[in-house]
Amino acid sequence: MNGRFRIPRPLVESLATIGVGLVAGGLLMLVFGNNPLRAYRALFVGAFGSLEDVLETLAFATPLMLTGLTFAVGVRAGLFNIGAEGQMYLGAVGATFIAGTFALPPLVHVAAATLVAMLCGALWALPPALLKIWRGVHEVISTIMCNWIAFHLSTYLVIYFLTGAGRADSTRPALPTARYPVLFAESTLTAVVFVAVAFCLAVYLYLWGTRAGYELRLAGENPEAARYAGVHAGRAMLLSFGIGGLAAGLAGASQIIGRPPAWSLYATLGNVTTLGFDGIGVALVGRSHPLGGILAAFLFGALAHGGRFMEYHAGVLSELVRAINGLIVLTLAVPELWAITRRRLGR
Amino acid sequence: MHAQPHIEMRGIHKVYADGTVALRGVDFRLQPGEIVGLLGENGAGKTTLMKILSGLLRPTRGELVVGGRPLQFRNPDEALRAGIGMVHQTFALVPPYTALQNIVLGQEGAALLGPLQVQAARQRVSQLLTQTGLAVPLDVPVESLPIGVQQRVEILKVLYRGTSVLILDEPTSALTPTEVGDLFDFLRRLRAGGTTIVFITHKLREVLDISNRIVVLRAGQVAGEVPAEAASAEDLAELMVGRKIVPRVSRAARPAGAPVLTVRGLHVLNDQGGVAVRGLDFEVRAGEVFGIAGVEGNGQSELVQALTGLRPPAGGELVLNGTRVQHLHPLALYRRGVCHIPEDKARFGLALNFDLAENAILSRQAEPVFLRAMGRLNWTRILAYARQLVERFNVIAPGIRAVVRSLSGGNQQRLLVGRELSKQPVLVVAMHPTRGLDIASTVYIRELLVQMRDQGKGVLLVSADLDEILELSDRIAVMYEGAFIGTGTAEEFSREEIGLMMGGVLPQGRR
Repeated sequence: MNGRFRIPRPLVESLATIGVGLVAGGLLMLVFGNNPLRAYRALFVGAFGSLEDVLETLAFATPLMLTGLTFAVGVRAGLFNIGAEGQMYLGAVGATFIAGTFALPPLVHVAAATLVAMLCGALWALPPALLKIWRGVHEVISTIMCNWIAFHLSTYLVIYFLTGAGRADSTRPALPTARYPVLFAESTLTAVVFVAVAFCLAVYLYLWGTRAGYELRLAGENPEAARYAGVHAGRAMLLSFGIGGLAAGLAGASQIIGRPPAWSLYATLGNVTTLGFDGIGVALVGRSHPLGGILAAFLFGALAHGGRFMEYHAGVLSELVRAINGLIVLTLAVPELWAITRRRLGR
Repeated sequence: MHAQPHIEMRGIHKVYADGTVALRGVDFRLQPGEIVGLLGENGAGKTTLMKILSGLLRPTRGELVVGGRPLQFRNPDEALRAGIGMVHQTFALVPPYTALQNIVLGQEGAALLGPLQVQAARQRVSQLLTQTGLAVPLDVPVESLPIGVQQRVEILKVLYRGTSVLILDEPTSALTPTEVGDLFDFLRRLRAGGTTIVFITHKLREVLDISNRIVVLRAGQVAGEVPAEAASAEDLAELMVGRKIVPRVSRAARPAGAPVLTVRGLHVLNDQGGVAVRGLDFEVRAGEVFGIAGVEGNGQSELVQALTGLRPPAGGELVLNGTRVQHLHPLALYRRGVCHIPEDKARFGLALNFDLAENAILSRQAEPVFLRAMGRLNWTRILAYARQLVERFNVIAPGIRAVVRSLSGGNQQRLLVGRELSKQPVLVVAMHPTRGLDIASTVYIRELLVQMRDQGKGVLLVSADLDEILELSDRIAVMYEGAFIGTGTAEEFSREEIGLMMGGVLPQGRR
């Protein structure tokens, strides 16, 4: 901290790799006879061209920065926690239950629904955490299994307990008292984005500014040195799973009480599925850093929202759009994948 | 089995990618049907030389001549095809597979998707068993077999591939004395059958017992070659330890004070559950350096880990400053004045991808000085402390927010040693504190340890570097197979005597 601000190296690397990804995507488009410049222009204008578009991009980014955080906090503790998906389902169910069932005063209702959602997420992260700590069960296996259990459990809960009278396709919508305010009329971005960003920021300050966060990162960086430093490995893992669960739960809530027009959970879970898995990509692009994750989520949001315009304005097939987005994400993920692999293979 | 070729290695040099020079011009030859003992300290280059012969490493320079033809092995397979096979110190067995499956693995003789020809293989393996007189249960998973039998499976695995030159890397290190006896009988039978054997070891008695010829390596060169019948343990010890040139650290005589650490009846197990430390009793006094010499793998790591809370002892007690230690947790020990310079800095003592400031509080992160309310880190203090360490211990670094990985080994160790010694310890436990460092850092760290002693702290120094032990210690113990084979003041021992004891031989006239 010698007074002047320097652009962090990971950010520079990522910006450079975006270029590689764009070129690769461009080549792909050339092969299919599209004009890459026009397509990218459509993408860019689509994502950022107007205030509404930026807001829409942000709305897409909100849950992703949180599920990305789940994976990132795992990596920091040396874990491969891919349970954000299931934890997010449970968060969505918890939020739906509180938001649609109880009548509470406005602010209290939003807060209660949010908190319960986060706790549901954390609770769902507990079994894999304890299995790992007590029995050494690998978290990849247990979190994948928990994701499936969460999927079916959530579907069951939605259909049997949370659907409105006379309809089975989605839950009772959140009561108006439980909804985050829409920031601009006609946009789908709500104030939940501030909660999401604040949570990422808080986790960043926690990991780099407290003893517990330091110990968590040390346990992930070098388990033997952590032992030498007297760090309780199990506690670090529990903490990492817990924070990840809170983040995923909040992501789930953000899609129910923070995302018009549905304000409810579909019985197919269709308005939340894959957000958890997308978080893995967000975390990799964001270099397993809570703040990097915000930027990465913004990029994912831009690709998701702006990508639609590539088809509309430049005639790029929607399948190809997804392939191009995938290419960009893949190249961006390479540096972090490389770093994780190197850490895993030993020093 | 193959026809027996003469093997010659000429002028072998090996420089590793990180710049370590392991071998500097070694000539080595093998004649059919002999057992050659390859003797040397840790890091002398024994294993490197044999890994080159068995195709696992490629020499930087030098040539290999087998049966009069110059050869270059690109991988162990090619060496095996030339009849050369090596059994490594750590076994490469598949634990849940049976002995038979392990032996045949990779030589199943079936197409990738064809049926396994287990019966044919079983016949060949049983034949091999009768030929060599080895008893191995073929249908039991190897994980349930004792270490000695697992080793036989390893050896059979190599012999099954038609090996005529068998290289064994420290084969006795994990064996009980009976198992060692069995192994030697078996090796003699193999030799009688015409197999050539290279036996890598640092144990003097064993090498004298089993070899026809002994080659001693020191610092990557051949220090001597003697026929076994003409060799004495004393000669070999001297050849093995030799002398190295590092400026000496001066150390004034000084009376030692009260015991800082007393160890009684300490037993410690290793990772495999074997006894690594068998009933040690000793004390470290204030104002003295107590040096523990010995070849690595004789229980020193386990001893140090037990003393620093990293490994629970299986028995015995520790007394620190007059009070018995009940709670052997690293942080509890640090609070009571133990500091620890661990054997492998990158593994235990530092987080290489963390910056200098973060490493400055590694193991000190729980100290109130570095914390604010609610468990927040006090970065102002941490940064100031890191700056102070860098300055005081002459750590050359781009800045305190640079990752430690970017520092040279010597500077990494200066940071670590500085951090530990600035803890105001009463007992300094240091293991291999100067291993792999440049000369300037080596001398500097040795001086620091002597300074600690002069300030009245107890210093426990464990090192495989005999010069380091001799130079710094007031009292010396030599550790061999988990116990002290000899203890005395530094003046009582000559380096040759210590060399003998490191090889497990008690010098004449000593108890």
